[in-house]
Amino acid sequence: MSSPYGKVAFYPGCSLDGLGKSYEESLKLVAKDLGLPLDKISDYNCCGALEVKNVNTMAGLLLPARNLSLAREMNADAVVSACPGCHYSLSRTQFFMTRYPKVAQKVNAYLEKMGNKPYDSKLLMVHAVEYIYNSVGAEGVKSRVKRPLNGLKVAPYYGCLYSRPKSYTLSGYMGLRDDPERPSFMDEILQALGAEVVPFEAKTMCCGGPHAYSDVDVALHLEARILKEAKRNGAELLITDCPLGHVAIETNMNKIAEKYGEDLRMPLVYFSQLVAFAFGHSPSETLLTANITDPLSVLKRFL
Amino acid sequence: MPIPNLEKPIIKGLIEKEKVVVDGVEVDGTWNAFMIERTQTGYDPSVWDEIAGTLEGATISACWQCGTCTSGCTMREYDPKYSPRRFIDLARKGDKESLVELQNSIWRCVSCQKCTHRCPKGVLVEEVVHSIHNYLLKHGLVQSDPGTVFDELFLDVVMKNGGRISELTLGGASAKAGFVSLSLRDLISMSGALLKSGLIKDVMKPSRVKDWDKVKTVLEDAMKDEIKPEDLQANIRYQVVPQ
Repeated sequence: MSSPYGKVAFYPGCSLDGLGKSYEESLKLVAKDLGLPLDKISDYNCCGALEVKNVNTMAGLLLPARNLSLAREMNADAVVSACPGCHYSLSRTQFFMTRYPKVAQKVNAYLEKMGNKPYDSKLLMVHAVEYIYNSVGAEGVKSRVKRPLNGLKVAPYYGCLYSRPKSYTLSGYMGLRDDPERPSFMDEILQALGAEVVPFEAKTMCCGGPHAYSDVDVALHLEARILKEAKRNGAELLITDCPLGHVAIETNMNKIAEKYGEDLRMPLVYFSQLVAFAFGHSPSETLLTANITDPLSVLKRFL
Repeated sequence: MPIPNLEKPIIKGLIEKEKVVVDGVEVDGTWNAFMIERTQTGYDPSVWDEIAGTLEGATISACWQCGTCTSGCTMREYDPKYSPRRFIDLARKGDKESLVELQNSIWRCVSCQKCTHRCPKGVLVEEVVHSIHNYLLKHGLVQSDPGTVFDELFLDVVMKNGGRISELTLGGASAKAGFVSLSLRDLISMSGALLKSGLIKDVMKPSRVKDWDKVKTVLEDAMKDEIKPEDLQANIRYQVVPQ
């Protein structure tokens, strides 16, 4: 199977080493089954997410730039991130460095002081969903399914930063990118597993991520809106590709249920967990047991 | 001109009198309302220049005030005063007074990027709004807000914990700052899931960047550096898609 991306480096990001461990483990299983390389940038640092850039401009550029430089040292042509927040931060730095040559010079000077190579702005940022979809396609996923999830109703939640904004992620400017307003790559992957994707208008709605702690009321309302839309369309599981949104909704689930009604409770699963589960891996291998909500209450009928 | 009754509640500084007598003649009832004189002064044209000279705010001048950013804004639903279009307008006029009045709104951007994505003029709206907010903070016009406090906390945790964030360190720091109010029930369900799957080991030992102390020194150095307006000459032939 040929990947359209050339050599790929995998940027896990901090969240995948923390509560998002289940995302990383299951993604590794899926990549292995599909024969896709997933070489980790081992000495990565935090990308700064959506916070650091607001505090200090240079730190907001340098943190991602160091990771990009490390990826180039691995001779990579593309960086796969599983977290849309990281995907966004890396793309943002790439954008500013290509647009303003003098800014790039400045950033590169500091990179050299750190002992890294200057970054030449030649990488392509890829999200894990796009990577799987564009490398093997829905057909490639389908051919590996050992445990078809027929009749399972799912709502795919992509999150804000999966394909927004177009100036950074290049969606709309090039092929290989998903539709930024109505994405469909994850839908097709989930359909290939046999699951039924319900109509879901909250696909790219905001979960209040960066203000999940500092503006709690708004965050709870936004999260409740996503769950409500999924419930209204009859979904049994909310499938996520964003560790920020996943953790925010899972940890706030009790508060949401208290404030907006117990019927909004719904288990959350990372898309890679569901794919790995359908490929025949056990719940403990895919770490379905590590989710704070209990997806096995729904998935046990396929065991 | 008489002031229409419907407009009276929205006018700031309205004076209404029961009976108005001008030169010994009682004026008709519809003419008895007056507006106090409101001449706003203190427009400061340097606001626009300063924001346009930052990396984030460089695109502010391209805005043509169509309001596409505001019509799709996530925050506007919860805060009717939240309007990126208006923030840009006020910043370009240099109306600091009105911006300060909006200080409880400006910081609440959730960075969902709809505005930046949809802007027909290529203004990086989310970045520009943060740049306007940073201007207000930098010049001491507004107090720090929960969003900024959390952002600073985040950077602090990255710097102190070997260049990486873990939910445990960030959660601990936020709890100290009085942000997180996880109930006992949340904690039990969280740690239950982590214990059951054996993940607790990974979460408890946050990993570090190998040579972090060296990187940190350079980073702290760089943070004192600034992007200057002359650094912002755009490479108009830059390739959108890497070759």
